[in-house]
Amino acid sequence: MNFERKLNRRSLLKASAAVGATGLASVSMPSVLRAAEPDKPSELIIRAWGGPWVEALKNGVSDPFTEKTGIRIIHDLTEDNEIQPKVWAAVAQNRTPPIHINWDTTTNATKSALRGVCEDLSDLSNLSGTTDLAKPVGVDGYPIVNTYGYVYVLAYRPEAFPDGPPKSYHDLLDPKFKGRIAFYNDGIGFHFPAQVAGGGALEDIPGNMDACWEFVEKIKAQNPLLGEDPDFVTWFQRGEIDAACTISTNALGAKRSGVDIAWTVPEEGAKFDTDGLWIPKGHSESDLYWAREYINSALTQANQQVWLDGLGLPGVVPGLTPPEGLAGDPSYPTKPEDFERLIRISGQIQVENESEWFSKFKQIMQG
Amino acid sequence: MRRYKTSYPISWRFMDVLEAAFALVLPRGGGRLTPYLLLTPAVLLVGTLAVGLLYIGDSSLRVLDRSTFLFSDYWTLENYQRAFSESFTATIIWRSLVGAVIVTAVTLLLAFPYAYVMVRTSSALLRKFLLVALFLPFFIGQVVRAYGWLIILGNQGIVNDALALVGVEPLRLLFNYPAVLFGLVQYMLPFGVLMLAPALTAIPEDIEAAATSLGANWVRALFHVVLPMARPGLIGAGVVVLTLSLTDFAMPAILGGGSQDFVANAIYDQFFRTSDQGFGASLTLILIAVGSMTVGLIFAVFGAGTLALGANRK
Amino acid sequence: MNRSPTQTIVFWSVAILCVVALSAPTLVVLGASFTAGNIIDFPPDGFSLKWYVAILGERDLQQAFLRSVIVACICVAVSVPAGTLAGIALSKYQVKWAGALQIYLLLPFTVPLIGSGIGLMLLFGELRLLGSLWPIGIATAVINLPFMIWAVSSSAASLDPDLELAAQSCGAGPLQTFFNVTLPAVTPGVITGALLMFILSLNEFLVSLLLVDARIVTLPVQIYNSIRAIITPDLAAVSVVFIAVAALAIIILDRIVGLEVFLKSK
Repeated sequence: MNFERKLNRRSLLKASAAVGATGLASVSMPSVLRAAEPDKPSELIIRAWGGPWVEALKNGVSDPFTEKTGIRIIHDLTEDNEIQPKVWAAVAQNRTPPIHINWDTTTNATKSALRGVCEDLSDLSNLSGTTDLAKPVGVDGYPIVNTYGYVYVLAYRPEAFPDGPPKSYHDLLDPKFKGRIAFYNDGIGFHFPAQVAGGGALEDIPGNMDACWEFVEKIKAQNPLLGEDPDFVTWFQRGEIDAACTISTNALGAKRSGVDIAWTVPEEGAKFDTDGLWIPKGHSESDLYWAREYINSALTQANQQVWLDGLGLPGVVPGLTPPEGLAGDPSYPTKPEDFERLIRISGQIQVENESEWFSKFKQIMQG
Repeated sequence: MRRYKTSYPISWRFMDVLEAAFALVLPRGGGRLTPYLLLTPAVLLVGTLAVGLLYIGDSSLRVLDRSTFLFSDYWTLENYQRAFSESFTATIIWRSLVGAVIVTAVTLLLAFPYAYVMVRTSSALLRKFLLVALFLPFFIGQVVRAYGWLIILGNQGIVNDALALVGVEPLRLLFNYPAVLFGLVQYMLPFGVLMLAPALTAIPEDIEAAATSLGANWVRALFHVVLPMARPGLIGAGVVVLTLSLTDFAMPAILGGGSQDFVANAIYDQFFRTSDQGFGASLTLILIAVGSMTVGLIFAVFGAGTLALGANRK
Repeated sequence: MNRSPTQTIVFWSVAILCVVALSAPTLVVLGASFTAGNIIDFPPDGFSLKWYVAILGERDLQQAFLRSVIVACICVAVSVPAGTLAGIALSKYQVKWAGALQIYLLLPFTVPLIGSGIGLMLLFGELRLLGSLWPIGIATAVINLPFMIWAVSSSAASLDPDLELAAQSCGAGPLQTFFNVTLPAVTPGVITGALLMFILSLNEFLVSLLLVDARIVTLPVQIYNSIRAIITPDLAAVSVVFIAVAALAIIILDRIVGLEVFLKSK
């Protein structure tokens, strides 16, 4: 099965040993630094998600970068979807793009890579210390560097499930959950488990997804709410819903803000995916240089540790300590056996078919 | 001569210079060209939008290649064919149109009395209060406003808490079509009132008084005197509310729970979620066509409202 | 005049209902900004000013607010003259192709905001205008222009053509007639229109979103974007400050020009 990718670490222990010996800080700046160092821009603009997401990036990567280089980091909080047409238009019109670095979902970033708007990052020095997860699938080289993985868990209110966590998405078909379950607007994260729940096989994706759509029809009969990340947290907070298929970080964020919430990976499995960083084309040589340095610094163990503690997600360098309470959690996979229940579909298949899945899901839900 | 000079204020002189300059540029005050000259700045401003639409029109004729995420270098009608072949398009167009008509009717029904008491009340304080109340909703932004509604109308909201006191089970008040329409009416009400108010200020109170003193009761006076005179304002307010509701995307997104999309939401999805600008552009042009034809129909049936006043009078 | 008591009751009931519906979510959010807790809720969880203290330190928000005010001023400066002239032209004169022209001038409302945003982004991008505030001011002027035109033309109903003729026959030039006779007659529409344009421009986020970059982000865009994960009471506090500033602006406007005269029925 090509869906369960074994996360073989690159055997570059030497590199990590070197990292440990010389101290992380100095290694994050590559050797080029000693040679001609291009002029520093006064600031770099990094697109990020708001709330706990940008807080984590600021503490883990941006602040250390500013401390070291003196370059100010501005976080642009435009949504990943909404920045895309802006960046594409800028590149198409030969303008300087509005951002230096895009923190993006790998699927979205892959579209930009296929379109040819991403700078190549293959020769970042710290890539040698990363796991396989850092390499985007289905594109040449490293137009994107993946920086961590995440799981679309089934988050739920323990109060609504007195007999223990829901075991399957079929549990949500119980009449008492009518109008009290939620999914992403486009169904992202749910298509693959739905394929399993409907009795289909993951190998049939994308050729035959009837099982998925049959199950989505059943879910539609339950009048689910559809929303985006902030909606889920709000709805849990206000007691509007009992369960939702969402990224674990949102559930964790809600939990950290005091909402009674837990999460699980049901028997159908859960979608595993990655986010990454990339640089749009069209920047000056010096801006590009320092933007690459920023991404390089995001791949050091020290910076990954702080950044991903904030997100509660597994990173792409070996030897990270899981945040408190997340060791062994299904949303924090690290060992090969953790991945057995997670579904990973190649980026290429996703990119090529996603729009169709989205519109199919929408059409069922709008019916 | 001296006396004349001293009694002629500087501002008049200034005006004379302006008039002379104006006459030099436009002999006879522009003559028959005057209205077109007056319209030029507005036409140019809207022109930026029209040029933007040329880009959109161009995109709508190109299809997305999902292996490169580039658009075709040739023109094709595929996006339109797709839009017209999917029943989904008809569903959302119909939902938007019906919604816009209902919202317009309800908004006018509510905005008229509001505007009426606002311009007719004898208390200046009350008038200002009613005016400020109109602007209040703008300042919390759509998303925070939706959160406010959740606190009031949600399952655990204030209204359901109150209902629980009298033994009513929690009602699902949000995330359905009526909720979207309700949100739209609330959003459109200020526009409706502000478009109606100037039209109502123009109706002399004496005329109404005359009608009632001649024995007409208030309903008859309203229907036979006030409403006909306020007609331009009603049509203006109606057109504004109708077009803005038809193209709204925030309310269906926020209060519809994801299953009550209007056309603008589908456009948003294509531009921002599936990166298919071409298909999104074709939906945009279809929506503009639907909107413009509806407006054209209204103008044809009711006259062009406020804007035709001068023309009608002549 | 003697108004029927039934009418008074009916009309005022509707007006009060409207006031409640208009202000309810705002009041809830206002109240919630004083919460001592960490989520927006009503009634608020205890009383504290901590969320106000929190935004006091946010230089980003203050700068974004300042930019929004600049954008709104540009919008008013552009749209008020353009809209006023167009409104007068359409209500005073017979214009050829008036129907088509009206549909054209309504484009800002019939084009969905996303379409306007994308179109203006491509146009301004091609002209290399992105990156400064004034194109955003122009954009908000364009997308709201019909309000200005219609506000003016609906008050042009009280425009008396005889008065203008009288002025002209007394020797007033066209400019003098315009400033002393025509303009005063439509001032109610100009004032309400300008107020509306200012407030709408101040709060516009969707089209602006596509035209700003992080260096020149405006307040509504900043707020819209920061709601990625959790809606915290600091956003409520920002709204309260926003409303306070707007209220101040309305009071000043009232002092200077007197809103009363423009809305009161004659």
